[in-house]
Amino acid sequence: MSDHGTYIKRPNRPLQIYAVIFLIVLYVPVLFIPLFSFNESIYVRFPLEGFTFRWYRELWTREPVWNALFNSIKVGACVAVISTILGVIAARAITRYRMPGKSALVTFIMMPLVIPGIIFGVALLVLLSRMGIPLTLYTVGLGHLIVCLPFAVATLLPRFEGFDPSMEEASADLGENGWWTFWRVTFPMVFPGVVASLLLTFTISFDEFIMAFFLTGTDPTLPMYIWGQLRFPQEFPSVLALSSLILFVSFILVFFAQWVGRMGLDEQNQEAL
Amino acid sequence: MDVVDQLGAVREGKLSRRKFTQGLLAAGVAMTTLPVSARRAAASGDEATFFTWGGYDIPELFKPYEAKNGALPNFSIFGGSEEALTKMRGGFVVDVSHPCNQALPRWVASGLFQPIDVTRLSNWSDVMPELVDLPGNAADGGNVWMAPFDWGQTSVTYRTDMFELEGEESWDMLWDKRYANRLGSLASGADAWWCGAIKAGVDFADIATDEAFEKIAAVMREQRPLIRTYTDDTTTLEQALSSGEMVAAMTWNSSATLLKSEGVPVKFAAPKEGALTWVCGVVIHKDAPNLDRAYDVIDSLLSVESGKFMINDYGYGHSNIKSFDEFDAATLQDLGLSKNPFEILEAGHFQQPQSQDWETRMNETFEQIKAGF
Amino acid sequence: MSPTLAIMTVGILVPFIILLVISFWTRDGFGFDTTFTTNNYVRAWSEPIFGALLQRSFWISGVATLVTVLLCYPMAYYVAFHVHRNKMMWIILMTLPFWTSYLLRVFAWKVILGYEGVINSGLMTVGLIDQPLEFLLYSQEAVIITLAHAWAAFAILPLYVSLEKIDKSLLEAATDLGDGPVARFFRITLPLSMPGVIAACFLIFIPTTGDYITPALLGGPDGAMIGNFIQLQFGRVNNWPMGATLSIVLMLWISLIALVFLFITRKAQEKIA
Repeated sequence: MSDHGTYIKRPNRPLQIYAVIFLIVLYVPVLFIPLFSFNESIYVRFPLEGFTFRWYRELWTREPVWNALFNSIKVGACVAVISTILGVIAARAITRYRMPGKSALVTFIMMPLVIPGIIFGVALLVLLSRMGIPLTLYTVGLGHLIVCLPFAVATLLPRFEGFDPSMEEASADLGENGWWTFWRVTFPMVFPGVVASLLLTFTISFDEFIMAFFLTGTDPTLPMYIWGQLRFPQEFPSVLALSSLILFVSFILVFFAQWVGRMGLDEQNQEAL
Repeated sequence: MDVVDQLGAVREGKLSRRKFTQGLLAAGVAMTTLPVSARRAAASGDEATFFTWGGYDIPELFKPYEAKNGALPNFSIFGGSEEALTKMRGGFVVDVSHPCNQALPRWVASGLFQPIDVTRLSNWSDVMPELVDLPGNAADGGNVWMAPFDWGQTSVTYRTDMFELEGEESWDMLWDKRYANRLGSLASGADAWWCGAIKAGVDFADIATDEAFEKIAAVMREQRPLIRTYTDDTTTLEQALSSGEMVAAMTWNSSATLLKSEGVPVKFAAPKEGALTWVCGVVIHKDAPNLDRAYDVIDSLLSVESGKFMINDYGYGHSNIKSFDEFDAATLQDLGLSKNPFEILEAGHFQQPQSQDWETRMNETFEQIKAGF
Repeated sequence: MSPTLAIMTVGILVPFIILLVISFWTRDGFGFDTTFTTNNYVRAWSEPIFGALLQRSFWISGVATLVTVLLCYPMAYYVAFHVHRNKMMWIILMTLPFWTSYLLRVFAWKVILGYEGVINSGLMTVGLIDQPLEFLLYSQEAVIITLAHAWAAFAILPLYVSLEKIDKSLLEAATDLGDGPVARFFRITLPLSMPGVIAACFLIFIPTTGDYITPALLGGPDGAMIGNFIQLQFGRVNNWPMGATLSIVLMLWISLIALVFLFITRKAQEKIA
């Protein structure tokens, strides 16, 4: 970093203070969730009424909460895998082959990024109901797939763009078969993109509410369940407890990943970003 | 197909890249279908699905069901009966749902429900006949479309310590300019519009006339600037009343009863113009996947156990006459109930079924008023 | 390419065509009257409520977008230029709050802004006010604050990426040529980070115009947006054709606004260059 000139090295005090305040404001609303998960009252309001682990204990017996969580994980995992596979296919084709109307195609795939979710939600609802298809987790998954695909393609495209096809050819020339070429050459090159795409699409699907609202049948996803609990709280503190656990686990995972990949990654990121 | 074969084919150039990607796609599809369909068979457990208002998805109402089937039914929640009907018309299949008398003929006309064979219900003989005998409820062969379950009122819940009464309790309380921005209302026209009709002095028999529309719209417009928020969920109103954010709100019986049990000084008003009264019940979907369990849901709801809970914890009336034997007359009166439901229902204004066109027109008008037009 | 394209066609084009077709029908009892009519569009144009709701949605989203981008820019700038070690850590720190459910974050704001909420009780304890501030909750301000917080990650990431890409030697050169910090910022940093600003604006403005959860939970009677009305047409009001019409009108307006926005920024960039 020594090539950064003199002025950048100077610390900027006001900006530093701003950054700290920014982070605090960013975190305060989110930290209310774990805070209230230890509160004794079923209603989320001040003043706090006493410390308890009750909601965490009860969480184990709250079947609907777990069902909703597993529904979300299932939909999220399937959507992540399919959208990433489709994303790989699309990104490969876009970067590899010359074809007419390529930019129009890319624009078409990116369309869901610039259309409010509610419009997709109602459009799909109308289509499904005209076709007489009942609303299930599959319909939610279909909706999420459409929202997630542009993100998958957008994350994967840069990886494929920087990918030199001659590497694959070289591998083929050396007598490797197609599968080996993919596994040994292509895959490692695009692997970070694939992981990023899987993570991103899973996260999006996991928290997607607007389309799920129109497309959910009897099995609620977690956001749909939370929506119900916000309005008619029978098990709301359990939802808070579960969300706190999710938050806690993601913190641990992220920092663990960060810690593991410290040495190599840090330098790489400095250059890549 | 053999995987080794496929790989070999790729190497020899027999299998094109396209075929390969197609194979990849097929694998992806297989991955999706597998876990979900496995779950479908296992986890749904073949329990009946009850599509109902928030607050009815609790184990207390399903003790007999649980005793018989070893699990609770599945629940799906709606905030208003129009929303529920729209969702079912959109292909949402449930076993049992929960309309009210005013919507019943339209629900039946949608063709989405099957008559209830009352001989399959062990508690049917204790159900009060006055509640069964509703317009549009009779089906062929002495069967009914809807088994009545709960009945009650829509009225004003107010803070006795914060709301200064001027004279008698009245619907004027929700139009009181002294408390501008501290009044709340249910968002659904199925309640609010009818209460507006009472306030405007419109007879329910004339509620479909143009003149009535204008009169009611006028009072709703007058009320709108005074309202802090319109909401579909009673929780918002209950929390606002308990914190003093609102001093009076349009609610059902249960909000007042719940708030009282939390020690909040509130009263469920008996307006001098009369409260809005209604009867709700349960219907069976024509394609109910678990028909036997659907009858178990209904029987469980009609049981004395559930009735006791409904009266004691929610302050609603119940359709099983025996439920009332658990309470003395003074307690019932305190809750605004009576052993003779029609005494209560007739003393108020009983909702009357309307056409689908009326519903749409009313909802459209009311939504516009709420949005400020 | 073909499977991706097939899915996107089924997922985007078909629902849209159905939506478009239905928008020319009329509601008829429980079904649709399928004779072609432009009545819905005439209504959407002539009845003042729809125009006003659209305008309000664009106003709320516009302000929220502006606030978010303005508040996040210095933060992204700080991380890009003044953080030298653990940049990745900062990025993760800023995006972690967004791993909690969107609904719960919105709900947390309800607790903060509420009548007995954090702000009101805080101000009352200090003695600045003796009556809780009522405008905090159930108002357009509440919706704007919540949207700005909820979408911050969507501003920070593109802003950071575009700022990080700026060649530091350009800044050095400008300093050498005698530019002060302000001139340097407006001549180099801001124009070069414009792609990030534009991306952030799009990523926030477009989805928020169709939002209906935040206004439904926090907006009160004056905070309702077009999304709430579209949702009502598919729910309680039960007029799907009108809902379809409003969705299409919303989409057309968004495209128009996006085009105008792009045109203006392009002109502005040309002028600077």
